[in-house]
Amino acid sequence: MRLLLAGIRKLLFRPASWITLGVLAGLMGLIFVAVGSRADQLSNSPENAAALQLVTFPVAYDAVLSFVVGLGGLLAVIFGAAVAGSEWTWGTLKNAVARGESRTWYVVISFGSVVVLLAVGVVLAFAAGVIAAFIGASIAGVPTDGLTDRATLESLPATLLRGWFGIVEQGALGFAIATLARSQLAGIGAGIALYFGEQFSTLFLPDVVKYLPFHVAQAAVGLTARAFGGDGGGGQAVARLPSDVALLLVGTWLIGAVVVSALFTQRAEITG
Amino acid sequence: MTNGLALAVRGLRKRYGSVTALDGLDLSVPNGVVYGFLGPNGAGKTTTMRLLTGLIRPDAGTIELLGAPFRSRDRRRLFDVGALIETPSFYPYLSGRENLRALAAVGAPIAPGRIDALLELVGLAGRAGDAVSTYSLGMKQRLGIAGALLSDPRLLLLDEPANGLDPAGIVAMRDTLKQLAASGKTVFVSSHILGEVRQLADVVGIIAAGRLVREAPIETLLADGGVVRVRLSPADLERARSILARLPQAVAADAPATAASEGDDDAWVSVPGGRERASEINRALAEAGIYASGIETDSSLESLFLELTGTSPAGNEGTFRGLGSSS
Repeated sequence: MRLLLAGIRKLLFRPASWITLGVLAGLMGLIFVAVGSRADQLSNSPENAAALQLVTFPVAYDAVLSFVVGLGGLLAVIFGAAVAGSEWTWGTLKNAVARGESRTWYVVISFGSVVVLLAVGVVLAFAAGVIAAFIGASIAGVPTDGLTDRATLESLPATLLRGWFGIVEQGALGFAIATLARSQLAGIGAGIALYFGEQFSTLFLPDVVKYLPFHVAQAAVGLTARAFGGDGGGGQAVARLPSDVALLLVGTWLIGAVVVSALFTQRAEITG
Repeated sequence: MTNGLALAVRGLRKRYGSVTALDGLDLSVPNGVVYGFLGPNGAGKTTTMRLLTGLIRPDAGTIELLGAPFRSRDRRRLFDVGALIETPSFYPYLSGRENLRALAAVGAPIAPGRIDALLELVGLAGRAGDAVSTYSLGMKQRLGIAGALLSDPRLLLLDEPANGLDPAGIVAMRDTLKQLAASGKTVFVSSHILGEVRQLADVVGIIAAGRLVREAPIETLLADGGVVRVRLSPADLERARSILARLPQAVAADAPATAASEGDDDAWVSVPGGRERASEINRALAEAGIYASGIETDSSLESLFLELTGTSPAGNEGTFRGLGSSS
């Protein structure tokens, strides 16, 4: 427990934790407020109707969540890679091992602290997104009655939980990549490349991509395609897996990534 | 086999690809001493430290820590060991105190108040709340030493601990390490700073090319070691070398019997040995009709180190040669 608490404490003090959250919340705020501000200039056009959906509750909840899982997933990859990679780059893993800490335990608990921070991040980012969408709706003059839509609010905790699970899986991938790379920068770079590589591969491998980690993370949330950002910008429509199947695959990718990280660290020669 | 030893290493071997870092290293570190682990750059000091702390695994050989065998999976044996390996490593965005807290969360638990006491000991109490990224190299080094002492270890492994310390810091560190040894702890210090080791260590092990070339109490090394340097005419140089090479030697088997250098007016021949060998050398040369124009003796640790490790500035491969011998 002291290791987990220390890990969480380290991440709470880490500027990257708050910068990552700030980027996500800031972008959402910018987009939702911009949509609200432009609404009157786009009046009576089909684009306007689609754009206004983003700030119209309860659909706005889906839009925010889709944004959190979509862009948030990419940021989770970067965050996971930064946390794992810095242990190698800064040499702090060496300190832990030299003090007799279990390598496997250290890696698993380090990732555990990332999981906790991602939970906090998802909740805060979602709250920031809802506030931004509300502001956007107010600016656009769209009614906000749907904000308290009972059915949506009842399903929200489960949807958020699935979103968090998907984010954690994406964070685990970044964590594993940076561990294998033994480097913060290389891990972040490779994580980003993998993320966009998967999005681009929808052009060539649409039947395969739906099983890959970033797509299953989004499919697991069970959002409809109407929400903004949910498809990650790949360009070609990809048939999504049923959310429960996707959830199972998210778990598989997640466990696989953590096991790979732990095994690699357990066997690695720490020379840096 | 290793009664009374805090650390015993036998036949330790380690290769990195085609490079042999350690080639059958043996070490015997008694309890309650400061042990100076000396060697030139690339001799295998840091590799040894990494092996002793389970960061890497040996290809062959055994390690006993505090009287019991140590393998990398026996991680709990490290609970009694404190280590500072290579450069001190910290989370740059955390303060010195927070870094020690993070370190205390792994491995053996620490006593309450230990962190503040150590920050006081290493003189960082006033900057303990500042981010480590704002620390100088010397401050990071001091924090690293505090980290090594966190669990009040029985065996302390310090890799070049004087790096970056100012003179006052070096003196304070030396006093602290001596006090720790006096209290029964064992301090294993790797260094290439000979003066530091001479002032600090009770026992010295000298490593070269991954092997131990000498291990003895510092007094013994200084008494046994040394170099006799003979100045003579360049015309006599080769003949003098062959005569001196035939003298009974009391030097390490793999050390050169003599080393020679030639200047414009004088040539020098160096022979390993103490002050008492000067007359023997002078007599041998005189009997062959070679008359030295000067004889100097040097019993410093530096001379012994250079002789044993074969890192004389006369120009060994891989040695920093200096401006004077670049031609």
